[in-house]
Amino acid sequence: MSTTKLNAYSIARCAFVVAGVSLLGGCQSSTPEPQNMARTSLQTAPADLQLICANAVVAQASGARVLPMSSRQLDATTYAVDVDAGGRKFNCVVDSSGSVKSVQPA
Amino acid sequence: MTMIRDSLETEVKRGGTRKIGLIVLAAGLCLGPLAALAATQIYDARTKKWVDYDKRKARQYFARNKQVPEAFRRQVVTFRTAEPPGTIIIDGNQHFLYLVQPGGQAIRYGIGVGREGFGWAGIVRVGRTAEWPTWTPPAEMVARDPNAAKWAAGMPGGPDNPLGARALYLYEGENDTIYRIHGTVEPWTIGLDVSSGCIRMNNDDIVDLHSRVEIGAKVIVLMQGAALYKGV
Repeated sequence: MSTTKLNAYSIARCAFVVAGVSLLGGCQSSTPEPQNMARTSLQTAPADLQLICANAVVAQASGARVLPMSSRQLDATTYAVDVDAGGRKFNCVVDSSGSVKSVQPA
Repeated sequence: MTMIRDSLETEVKRGGTRKIGLIVLAAGLCLGPLAALAATQIYDARTKKWVDYDKRKARQYFARNKQVPEAFRRQVVTFRTAEPPGTIIIDGNQHFLYLVQPGGQAIRYGIGVGREGFGWAGIVRVGRTAEWPTWTPPAEMVARDPNAAKWAAGMPGGPDNPLGARALYLYEGENDTIYRIHGTVEPWTIGLDVSSGCIRMNNDDIVDLHSRVEIGAKVIVLMQGAALYKGV
């Protein structure tokens, strides 16, 4: 085997190993923590994020009781929450850190 | 369903026709389907896949492990909210009940909620509580089920009682909503949409919650797709 062929073989083998490790890492990172190993197929926003949105609407609610009605995941870190305030509807966007991005009348 | 039976016992004793009518209506609510909005799934660490978790699989899991999946066990979690400590927040879709604690935390419990149809959501409060509450089956159950018939006059509280070890009675203002948070004799149903509009918990968990909660505590029930709203 020539030196050139040996080098090419070594590089290919290294690339294969790196790719394998990367894939393994990817799989491992997607494994949820034990306390998160349950869900429903309906991917609603976590309850605390829904309530953070409800609290953001309170200032515009004129004293009405405010309740999140529905929610959905927009992307990996962002949720939309539909909030009712005494019959008035609001759309809220909140990220997974609890930061409200927007609140608008529906 | 069970919450109605408990109320029925009290109402039958009072003999109030109007109240019986209310109970029958509420029985319809509880017996009726409550939001089969989404299937529960648990993560199988062996296959690294999410798998459906229905009543049959839940019973198998419980028989094998003598407890519910870890996600549904009592635990302290991070919970960012402006609600004061002592507030109960129920996420009916995800089958969790949170008791807000100081310092941005909550105690999270697994719960079972009602099966298919209409769910309820709203803002209510704990009106009263009971230890080892009495259960009385509704008349139609007495008529068709010999096992229930023997408890037509009321089943005393105890380890075989469907209401379990404790019950928290949920009120809207001064009115009993006829919904309860209570224990269960079917611990494997935690994490599932099961029978009624009541919120069921493992007996150990309802005893723990009961020991921590104050009469008058605010209860916020979140349920996407709910057909009934209380207190809002």
